[in-house]
Amino acid sequence: MGVGKVRAHAAPLLQSPFAAAEPVEGDHIRAIEVGEPTDPPSRVAFLDGIQRYAVEGYLGIVPVVRGYVAAAVVRREQSVLRAVLQRVEEFLTVPLEHIAEQDRSMLEQVPLPLYDCSEGDRPHPILDVQLAALAVERRREELERRLAVQYLETAPEEWLVADGSVADLMGPAVTRPRLVGLVKSHDTQFLEGRELEVALTLPSGHRSSVFARHVGKQRAVYTWYLRLWPWEEHDLLYGLVRVERAPVEQTVAEASAVSRWILAERAPLSAPDERWDRLIYPIRQVEAYLRSHIGGWW
Amino acid sequence: MIRLSDAPPIGRVVATEALPASPHQFHFWTATETPVGIGTIVRVDAARGRTAYAVVVDGRAYSDLAAPLHDVVAAEGNPAASSGVTRRTEVRLWTAAVLRQIPEEPVQPVPLADVHLAIEPDVEIALRMDSYARADPPTAIPIGVYRTGGLHAPVSLDAHFLLGPESAHLNISGVSGLATKTSAVLFFLRSIFQKFPREKGSVAALCFNVKGPDLCFLDQPAELNETDRETYRALGVEPEAFFNAAYYAPFKPDGVNLNTLRSHADLVGSVQPLVWGLREVLDYHEVLLNRDDIDAKADAFLDFLADRVVEKEFRDEWGSTHRVRSFAELERLFRAIFDGLESAGRGDIWRTHHIATIRKVRNRLLNISTRCKGLVTDDGSVSDLPFGAFEDRSVHVIDVAGMDQLGQDLVFTRVVSKLREHLERRDLGVDHVVVFVDELNKYAPGDGPDTYVRKMLLDISERGRYLGLVLFAAQQFRSQVHRRVVGNAGTTVFGRMDMDELATPGYQVLSPATRMKLATLPKGELMVRHPHFTQPVFVRFPHPPVLTGPEGLDRFPPAADVSFEDAVVRQLVALDRRVAAATIKNLIVGRQENDIRRALLATKRVRPDDATAYFAASLGPAVRSQRVDEPAATATPQLRSLEDPYAP
Repeated sequence: MGVGKVRAHAAPLLQSPFAAAEPVEGDHIRAIEVGEPTDPPSRVAFLDGIQRYAVEGYLGIVPVVRGYVAAAVVRREQSVLRAVLQRVEEFLTVPLEHIAEQDRSMLEQVPLPLYDCSEGDRPHPILDVQLAALAVERRREELERRLAVQYLETAPEEWLVADGSVADLMGPAVTRPRLVGLVKSHDTQFLEGRELEVALTLPSGHRSSVFARHVGKQRAVYTWYLRLWPWEEHDLLYGLVRVERAPVEQTVAEASAVSRWILAERAPLSAPDERWDRLIYPIRQVEAYLRSHIGGWW
Repeated sequence: MIRLSDAPPIGRVVATEALPASPHQFHFWTATETPVGIGTIVRVDAARGRTAYAVVVDGRAYSDLAAPLHDVVAAEGNPAASSGVTRRTEVRLWTAAVLRQIPEEPVQPVPLADVHLAIEPDVEIALRMDSYARADPPTAIPIGVYRTGGLHAPVSLDAHFLLGPESAHLNISGVSGLATKTSAVLFFLRSIFQKFPREKGSVAALCFNVKGPDLCFLDQPAELNETDRETYRALGVEPEAFFNAAYYAPFKPDGVNLNTLRSHADLVGSVQPLVWGLREVLDYHEVLLNRDDIDAKADAFLDFLADRVVEKEFRDEWGSTHRVRSFAELERLFRAIFDGLESAGRGDIWRTHHIATIRKVRNRLLNISTRCKGLVTDDGSVSDLPFGAFEDRSVHVIDVAGMDQLGQDLVFTRVVSKLREHLERRDLGVDHVVVFVDELNKYAPGDGPDTYVRKMLLDISERGRYLGLVLFAAQQFRSQVHRRVVGNAGTTVFGRMDMDELATPGYQVLSPATRMKLATLPKGELMVRHPHFTQPVFVRFPHPPVLTGPEGLDRFPPAADVSFEDAVVRQLVALDRRVAAATIKNLIVGRQENDIRRALLATKRVRPDDATAYFAASLGPAVRSQRVDEPAATATPQLRSLEDPYAP
């Protein structure tokens, strides 16, 4: 049956499958063996967030969505993880343009923040829920961003490994050299041709050379692919993560060293999470910690 | 300084559909580094005034590792590889059995609340000790300390449930050498003697020393270490030896050296010989005589002897009067019967008893003094326990370690029977007697023949508490002791146990972790079940304040057996230091050994100020032998044999 999962339905099309990038470590992308895993820095913390939403009811045909987002920073001290920062937000998100003024007034009486997720002129019960979900996701990203900034300002000497992209935390004037993003999804491809093939077929324990991906017109992050587990006989993206760091020379110089300690994070395994080949254990524990506080949002 | 009562919680009750909290059991988790272990007593405080006390009976630890294979994958098949830079999240999940809830009604599941280590007042409440430790007068008998996380909380038993009448008896089990059964019982006795309220009556103890020197030095104080002294202080018990201790031992077959390891010159003077005569034995002939030999006819003849003959004036059909007080006098009666029947030619029947039955009973009875030589004498001299004059807080040790099984059975049966008789009549001298018997496997086995000793033990177990006769019994294998004997023990104590024993059905009520703890229990630690305790609790008791057997032997090595004359001198010197060996030897030269023994026994029994004078008086004047002239040649020739007048 091959190496992929057996599926019954077509997956939804990707929103933004391609983006631009340019090599910064050499003039083309190549595979680099990073060497044996090494111990991570003694002071390292991990950031992740979770989100939940549910349709609470309808005002006419307009859905009222209740959102829950939470984020936490967990620091590792002598191999033991301890939560040091945690934020939770619960709110309502509604396409305000599609509801009457008195309904809006009524919603404002609810002791929860109210956010707008309007887009388009006509209400659509399914699309409006999808838009509300996107709003919830943006709130979660914003919460993570605020938590990361807070943590790095209070502990600038410590490393912070975030789940996902850290592009929004970088800017022309802001570099956070000890912030590392671990991206598990590969919806957007930044390379093409032979360079893409090199990146996506990296052997285990290898990384790609560092390249810059642009975030808007002013900002960029440096990034590289890293294969955590052998992908042969698996999916092409099996065990493949993309590491993001600040767009500074130090990132290129430290790419292999950082890759080596990320390789060390393979143990303990984050199984039985189905993303275990790309999800490092501490990030999974941040999720577990957040889920343990989720209350009725299971 | 943080007081224990202010200490933060050490765990939290968790309940799921699969592991719910109930009125009798709940689960809680703690940090991985925790003072909690099997046997720890905890308190659960709920917001609405309900408090639960419980003892930890099981514990589990696990991480979020879903399958062992995941660890193999992470280590890439190499066990020596690092287990990872992050320690997996672990849980210590404990199961606790509820001891008590307040309020006790309505009975409800344990609240899902914070868990605290029990502090001293909690232990008292949890074990319901408050009902008797704070009574007037208090009837709490301290038996050890409960220890966890720096806490030393006294644990006490209720005297009403230990010595009666509510419940009684104590049974202690454990492997030899490691369970410290004897030490525990000695400490319990020490505690009882100090803490049993005098308003509740007097109490004495009677211990059978059944092996080696175990109980031979109860009056000799031991050196205690600071830990033991601290435990005594925590329990409020003074570490004193049993200064009011009396020792009894039979003689060896030579009739003069005492059959005990407490024979050192400094101690042997305090050992009373245990010597019985016909009367003492006849009432317990069932112990000594084999059921296969003694049928109903023999039984009837024995009853006749006991009722009509022994210690009574008995006139036979041939004009002689007998007063049978000893085996020797009994033999004279038998001889008179046989001779009388022979001479009268009246056939085979004497007072409805067939001569064959009489001969059988004679052979068996007279054989007893041979089989139990040293304990049973032919000549009627008796040295017995002071039945009727037992003193409050006194210990009586009967050393039967050197006796064979038959002699031990006789001593045990008679002594316990006498205790019961006197307690029934309320004239023993004390209101309660604790009888300590070790090796209960041997005396009251669960299977095997229904012996007189076992019946006696069953009787004590079932009826003793009403009389004040309390059995403290010890054995290695509880499962091999008669169920009714162990089942009637109100208090049950366990030391280190054998795994095979723990696998027997009687221990299945304990959790596997509790059984494991019992199998590895250190010396000095016990698991106690008591009617007031809903669950078994673990306690540590101190070294008893007396020399153990081996310690006593080191300090007081047993004296070697000596000649008859020297043994007499040695025993008299032990009574009175002024006794001169030469004087005694002059007194006994040419005397019958039985007469000397009788005089020695009398002297030891009375313990006079001037032992030499009393001994001499007891011996009486020496009868000089006189030459008797040969009978005249014309006299009637004497029969050569009374048995067979026609013998050549």
